[in-house]
Amino acid sequence: MFLAFQYPIEIPGVATMQFLKVAANAQRKARGEKEYTVPEFMKHVRAKAEALNINQDMLKRAVNVGFSGGEKKRAEILQMAVLEPSLCVLDETDSGLDIDAMRVVADGVNALRSPDRAMIVITHYQRLLDYIVPDKVHVLSDGKIVKSGPKELALELEEKGYANFVGQAA
Amino acid sequence: MNVMTTMTPAEQALGLTLPNRREEEWKWTDLRRFVERPYGAVVPADRKAVERLLAQSPFAGLKGPRLVIANGVVDEKLSRLAGVKLAKGAAAVAHEDVLLSLNNKLGVAGATLTFEGAVDQPVVIVFVTTGENSAVASRLHLDVAEGASASVIEVHLGEGAYLHNPVVSASIGKGARLDRVKVEQEASSAQHLSHLIATLGANAILNDFTLTAGAALSRQNVNVDFTGKGSNLRVNGSYLLTDSQHADTRLIVDHKVPHCTSRELFKCVMAEKARGVFQGKVIVRPDAQKTDGKQSSHALLLSETAEFDAKPELEIYADDVICGHGTTCGDLDHDHLFYLRSRGIPEAEARSLLVQAFLAEAIEAVENEQVREVLTEMIVERLV
Repeated sequence: MFLAFQYPIEIPGVATMQFLKVAANAQRKARGEKEYTVPEFMKHVRAKAEALNINQDMLKRAVNVGFSGGEKKRAEILQMAVLEPSLCVLDETDSGLDIDAMRVVADGVNALRSPDRAMIVITHYQRLLDYIVPDKVHVLSDGKIVKSGPKELALELEEKGYANFVGQAA
Repeated sequence: MNVMTTMTPAEQALGLTLPNRREEEWKWTDLRRFVERPYGAVVPADRKAVERLLAQSPFAGLKGPRLVIANGVVDEKLSRLAGVKLAKGAAAVAHEDVLLSLNNKLGVAGATLTFEGAVDQPVVIVFVTTGENSAVASRLHLDVAEGASASVIEVHLGEGAYLHNPVVSASIGKGARLDRVKVEQEASSAQHLSHLIATLGANAILNDFTLTAGAALSRQNVNVDFTGKGSNLRVNGSYLLTDSQHADTRLIVDHKVPHCTSRELFKCVMAEKARGVFQGKVIVRPDAQKTDGKQSSHALLLSETAEFDAKPELEIYADDVICGHGTTCGDLDHDHLFYLRSRGIPEAEARSLLVQAFLAEAIEAVENEQVREVLTEMIVERLV
């Protein structure tokens, strides 16, 4: 399982590449798979990083330290791509992103979509859903799912607002 | 006047009075109480043990020149001295200090390494000490000639409950540079009482890093004197202490001349009941205008019972200087730990990563990449 944070924290002194490697190998160990060797891992990360517009320089820097909002979110998606989780939770990944950055992040997320992987995307806006087209939409109010529907439900919400649902939950 | 108290059996054996906590510098390290064994005479080092320890040295993989000093005596057979200028004896140093007095009292011939021109390969100097209840003195002088550059790695290893008192002096000539790395990894029941005295000529550079990881008690006195303009000093250090280890560094940087820069950074990690002490003093004499000095010490306490004491001091007599100091002390950041664990990294590994990250800043000063990697590996091994 993977949780993409709304506000990824900065960890000075831990290089992104080293962090990714330790995390990926911990996963593989837990799954009973062979750990990555350094060259294997470099190859694995590089391809994924390029797709997300993350350059080598960013990988050498400490985890999220001095990254812009967009860079942090891209780094989160890179972690997700490297760790290959079966369930992903994306918590307001769209906050603080401009249109271009949102597209890069969404492309990254879409590339990870597969029948073997579930994703929960948490957002307040339709905007992100133009890029990441959901299979199902659930409306959560006061900790309960108050309505479920197809992707059109999100469009309906965008038009009418949440007001109708807030009452129901109470 | 001091009233002479009865000498302890340990003091009688060493032949001098040891400082106690009523002396400001020894406030946290009451040597009179710490040194309680009546250490006896030095016996020749156990050859087998020395060879075994050498093989275990973290720098055993470095192929370059090596100087082995076993129980205070140069072992030429185990050393690789091709291209190294080694002479017997070491010049006396002009500092008053109990650890120097001890060195003189214990009596040791010592050795001098002279560096001329540019020496690329680091010289590994291994101090191996073996024996139960011996007080061993070592004495080494590093002479870096005008315009020369040198790199040394000092490793302290041993076996047994001994006291090791190494005194290293370094004279860095005009326009010369010395890179020094010290790894204190003495036997777990040993006591390490060392002194480094360095003198920098004009436009000279001293880049120093010490990793303190071994010994039950480690007290390291460091004096650096600026005697020529335009020189640069960096003294970094890391402690990696656990159980009831006690390490105390007393550093005095003396700016006697103008236009010199000094930087000190200590990053100390204490676990269990370990105690770390850092006493750093920067003196800026009236003539030392345009001095730029910064000192900081940071501690990471991994348990409720670990302790860190810091005494940063600035003694400034000049009026056109930039000087500052800072100290922090804390435990691991829980948010950092949570983030790493959320990525599937087991807690122990996450903690180790964060400790490595904390220490990394101090190790960065080591410019030789291979040496830096060995240091990092040592730290990782110790943290597992």
